[in-house]
Amino acid sequence: MEYIQISIDGILYGSSYSLIALGFSLVFGVMRRINLAYGSSLLLGVAIALWVENELNISIIFFIPIVLFFCSMSNLYVERFCFAPHNTKAGVVVSMISSFAIWMQLDEISSQLLPDRTHSFPSLQISTFEVGGLFFRGDQILNIFIAFFISAILFLAVYKTKYGIVLRAVANSADTAKLMGCNTKLVNSLTFILAGVLGGIAAFLVLSTESQVTPLFGFWCTVKGLVAMMIGGLGSLTGAFWGGLLLGLLEAHFSYHFGPVFREITTFSILLIVLIIRPGGLMGVNIYKDLKSRDERI
Amino acid sequence: MAGEKILEVEGLETSYDMIKALKGVSISALSGKLTCILGPNGAGKSTLLFTLAGILNSDQGKVIFAGEDITNQKTSDLVEKGLALVPENRLIFPHLTVKENLLAGAYARLAKEREKVEQDISAMYARFPVLKERSSQLGGTMSGGEQQMLAVARALMSKPKLLLMDEPSVGLAPMIVDEIFSIIKQLNAEGISIVLVEQNASKALEIGDYFYLLDQGKQIFGGSREAILKENIIKKAYLGESAG
Repeated sequence: MEYIQISIDGILYGSSYSLIALGFSLVFGVMRRINLAYGSSLLLGVAIALWVENELNISIIFFIPIVLFFCSMSNLYVERFCFAPHNTKAGVVVSMISSFAIWMQLDEISSQLLPDRTHSFPSLQISTFEVGGLFFRGDQILNIFIAFFISAILFLAVYKTKYGIVLRAVANSADTAKLMGCNTKLVNSLTFILAGVLGGIAAFLVLSTESQVTPLFGFWCTVKGLVAMMIGGLGSLTGAFWGGLLLGLLEAHFSYHFGPVFREITTFSILLIVLIIRPGGLMGVNIYKDLKSRDERI
Repeated sequence: MAGEKILEVEGLETSYDMIKALKGVSISALSGKLTCILGPNGAGKSTLLFTLAGILNSDQGKVIFAGEDITNQKTSDLVEKGLALVPENRLIFPHLTVKENLLAGAYARLAKEREKVEQDISAMYARFPVLKERSSQLGGTMSGGEQQMLAVARALMSKPKLLLMDEPSVGLAPMIVDEIFSIIKQLNAEGISIVLVEQNASKALEIGDYFYLLDQGKQIFGGSREAILKENIIKKAYLGESAG
């Protein structure tokens, strides 16, 4: 029973990792770029939304769209200043360094907006319930349902809609998509906005469960999202989803058996092992064996 | 209208940084006709098509398409105006299905003409039955010839007034080349205006109406099939002056 309870807790926690990883994966799949400033842009979105909430004293119903709006706008800011100017093949390294620079910049702005070590965050106030001796936190159950629902919508949008076809065409070959008349710059910007919305949902779900936000939240998002994506499969949406759940599950078990300090050690140990054994991720292809897999994602 | 000039290029010059690839090329293409651009490797044929399609910007010169000056306009605008390029080596989307490749080809029309796009896909399936059979197969898993058919069908999905084709025979087996050229001939017979860049001069001579010969970025000949054969100029361009 204990194992089941820990597994449930791990999967519930992992669902938010999945959403963050999906945002990472979406950007990597379309642009072949890793956005190190992703977590920081989410933190900035949250910080601005909290500032607006304090100033206007709004209810949680209005607070949620405000979080999503500012998360997507700060992510768009990152795309405009960090990735759009370096969208050639030669710009891969420059854009990654730019994303590091912008990470520092956004964290600094957020720390000015959130100067204390912790700040309270609106909570959904759903009580815990028991089923057959297993305890379920109401807010976490809601989180996993939202995570599954949002992921399903994302998959449908990417694989079943015409926008999804254009998105995957750009991911396959941006140069060829341009020949079809496709506005690849617009697709890139929309992808960052979408990734911002996904990250904003994840940020809200995590922070409302914790009822607080710290200045380290951005770093936490970047690390967890990146690790979940790498475990699942670089640039693969399916991989990112399952990678997040697996990371949550393993973290929960390791921290239960070896102590909470092992949570972070587990995260990076799993990443190292996956990178050594299967660099393309568990659901990806070994990128060193098949360079063509660069085109295979999404 | 058949016989009218659909494309007019005057003194086009295009460079790759310091290297001038086109040195004042002037050509024209008639509506409903098949115009062939021939020349050896490095003659500037593909550069000419890239400039016409808006992928490269010209340094000098003018491009008039259907009576409108389209010099250095963006590719997306040119596609909407009715120019479509079938690129060298097909460049289909390997991880999209055949149907998704066709939908991507109709990008400029997706928002406005959704139902018509579906009808056009059915028309493409009727024209290229192999694409219907492989509708849900990933483009990258098809043979070279099938991919070439897909590339042509994808370009036709944008409803072009002028089809630009860059070396459609590259990398294909001789039998498949024959099939592709008969498809090009058929498309032209149906009234589609085509500008064909081809290194395989003998195949192009079988189907073309009008010919231009480029060499080292310059246009050295423009004329009918009879004229190009009479002057023996192709041999000179491909094999050097002594071949004449």
